[in-house]
Amino acid sequence: MSDTSYGANQDTVVAVRQITKVFPGVVALDRVDLAVHKNEVVGLVGENGAGKSVLMKIMIGLEQPDEGTIVLRGEETTLRDPSDAIKNGIGMVFQDGSLLPNLSVKENLFLCHEADFRKVGILSLRAMRDAARELLKRVKLDIDVDLPVTEISPAERQMVEIARLLWLSQQYGKENPLLILDEPTTVLADAERNRLFSILQDIKKQASVILISHRLQEILENSDRIVVLKDGKNVTEIPASKAKLSRIEQLMVGHTFSADRFKEDEQATPGKVEILSVKNLSKAGLFEPLSFTVRQGEIVGLVGLVGSGKEAVCNCIAGLDKADTGDVFLGERKLPSGSPSAAVKAGIGHIPIDRRSEGLALMMSVAENVNLLVLDRLKTAGFLSPAREKKNAQYWISECQIKTPSIGTLCANLSGGNQQKTVISKWLSSRVRLLILDHPTRGVDVGAKDEIYKLIRRLAKEGIGMLIMCDTLEEDIGLANRMLVMKDGRLVKEIESSSQKKPSPQDIIGLIV
Amino acid sequence: MTEVSSKGGALSWLRERFPASFAAARTWLRRFGILPQILSLAIIVGVFAIGTKGKYLSWANIQTILSLAAIPAIYAIGLHQTIVLGGIDLSVQGVASLCAVFVGILLKNQYNSYNVGLWIIPISLAIGGAAGVISGLLNTGLRIPSFMATLGMSWILYGMAVLIGKAVNVQILDTRIENFVSATLFGIPQIAILAVLIAVIVQMVQDRTRFGRYMYAIGGDEVIAKQAGVKVKGIKIAVFTMAGAIYGLASLLLACRLGWATSRMGAGLLFPTITAVTVGGVALTGGIGGAKNAVLGALIVTALNDGLVLMQVSPYIQQAVNGVVLIVAVALTLDRKKLGFIK
Repeated sequence: MSDTSYGANQDTVVAVRQITKVFPGVVALDRVDLAVHKNEVVGLVGENGAGKSVLMKIMIGLEQPDEGTIVLRGEETTLRDPSDAIKNGIGMVFQDGSLLPNLSVKENLFLCHEADFRKVGILSLRAMRDAARELLKRVKLDIDVDLPVTEISPAERQMVEIARLLWLSQQYGKENPLLILDEPTTVLADAERNRLFSILQDIKKQASVILISHRLQEILENSDRIVVLKDGKNVTEIPASKAKLSRIEQLMVGHTFSADRFKEDEQATPGKVEILSVKNLSKAGLFEPLSFTVRQGEIVGLVGLVGSGKEAVCNCIAGLDKADTGDVFLGERKLPSGSPSAAVKAGIGHIPIDRRSEGLALMMSVAENVNLLVLDRLKTAGFLSPAREKKNAQYWISECQIKTPSIGTLCANLSGGNQQKTVISKWLSSRVRLLILDHPTRGVDVGAKDEIYKLIRRLAKEGIGMLIMCDTLEEDIGLANRMLVMKDGRLVKEIESSSQKKPSPQDIIGLIV
Repeated sequence: MTEVSSKGGALSWLRERFPASFAAARTWLRRFGILPQILSLAIIVGVFAIGTKGKYLSWANIQTILSLAAIPAIYAIGLHQTIVLGGIDLSVQGVASLCAVFVGILLKNQYNSYNVGLWIIPISLAIGGAAGVISGLLNTGLRIPSFMATLGMSWILYGMAVLIGKAVNVQILDTRIENFVSATLFGIPQIAILAVLIAVIVQMVQDRTRFGRYMYAIGGDEVIAKQAGVKVKGIKIAVFTMAGAIYGLASLLLACRLGWATSRMGAGLLFPTITAVTVGGVALTGGIGGAKNAVLGALIVTALNDGLVLMQVSPYIQQAVNGVVLIVAVALTLDRKKLGFIK
């Protein structure tokens, strides 16, 4: 399967060998190898959930591997935490940044390493300023180092973080440190992006880099070697000079899934009635005006990268965010913008990605969660009737096959899959007309995924329209009747996905990245 | 990303500097440190100067304001550091009461033969500091949110004060500190000079020492600070200790100024102190504002109340005005994005 060895040689700075990491119900990494050599940029690609972030977390000591070893400059090492990693010359620039917003550039640069600037316990601000300017020169950054970091651009913040990491590894006497850049360009404008990559070529002379990005073109242009991960396994690695975009896309997506994995045979033909229609909806900076409809019993997959605007569209429909322009109609009724309670009242359900913090009240029982939206209907003479509460909860628990010891069990004590089924049953019992499913199978084991797919099919048969965003493209394709492809805030294409004529992931991934 | 047009001369100059929206006002306030406080003070002074036909600006009244603001300012210098950390300290009243009782017992008095003289200064610092250590340990060791840990501490210390002091008013017969407090130097009340001196020292610690940097790092983002290698627990305990020691000093000064030491001395201290801290521009979300803000806040609150008294406004309305000022100050300094939701 692989066309080069993952082997390390004398130029290897960091190598991970046979790393395995298991989370409850999911094998995140399965015997993964990765070696990074001196003065090299390695592009790491893979779909969401392929295991890239877990692998990086292991390399900076945020997670510990269950099996496998980390070899630094020829020596086997255990990395206890990120500060341990930086002592060994490995540092990461996170997507959301790790600078302190209330401190200035120079204070952030030297945080916790101010010893050189002290005279009888007092810090010399001038010495710090001079040293900071000197450091930033190395990444070709010329800014006022007294500014708070909130006042410099995202690209400049990344440069500051890179400069700090380079300096720290120098302080610890590590030559050729490894810098991990996690999706550095998602927050950058085009000009800033070019600037980052031109500086990256400079940094290469003194460091190695792992570059993670969903924009494959970037990876092709800026890395020396490309490593592809899929489902927590090494797929292959290719020298960037020999790599082709289409080939990498194919490798990322793979093509091993059985026909009935997503219950395609149970896919219903949607009705004629339009449940949801979105007209010219837009939100500045997130997505441009777009229109689409969802019919009765139809499953519409919204596909696109994180940051393509699909989440923002869903938030606007669910009323969690206020749109700038455009309208959302549920049936004939126009929904007020930015009102989640009006959306719920009209019949829009939203199953958020983070069900533990948003979808479920974890410290409430299964029954209380199931009944949460329908309390009005469970009253007798103005007071909640315990008997009717119990009846409603029991009905939905058996309907959705929620495996729980009793209806009074706290949701915190259920498995991920059963929590998700509880969330779905909550909306089912409230008789929603449109359901927004944000990564419904995230963190759910295989068996429970199957049951959730069945539930989704059942919802469709009952005429509920759905907007889904899935963990993988395959899941989107498998579940959806129709797909809307989004890229950089625009709706770029609409693709039919009837059960007889499913598009292939390769067709779609080219539109996304 | 929007770019403000550079054309339009004066208008855009104004627009850039004088924000039109509430959110912009907040950013502006934060960026300019103490300028908004100085402006508010100028407005207060201006309004009362006109309202009292100049009486407000008399040297005697200015002396009154400075001397009245000093002790609240010292309390605020102590308390604001715990807010900079991202926590809060509600134990002021308990610490003040306990210190007052010890001052009464240990300085020369009619009830016993103790007379520690000026040793009372380090003793007060130590009592306050010890209370701070305990609050800090409760917060970091038992992981009790600082507002609950210190609120509990406040009542424990107050209970101890009543138990030890038996609710007796003790007249302080050693008048050396009282004399220092009420004297003036070049016409400026010495107590105000002392408050400024303490502020300068604390501000210096905040700006120019590692301890100070780490205090702000924790207030900015505790997780990031910890990952960078800040010893979060140690710094927190040290900050609570410092805060407590400063309350101890302020309480000694307050008792000596009153001439009486009683376990009731702490009552009603918390609200003005927190008001001073927030009005001074220290954000309740942590990481923003320093000793200079605490002092200015105390000065603003005192100047406002003094003006209201001179204008003969009903004391009930004065209290309500203070409440409004507190809420407005919090609204302007709180960084809601950092909180997610408000409890």
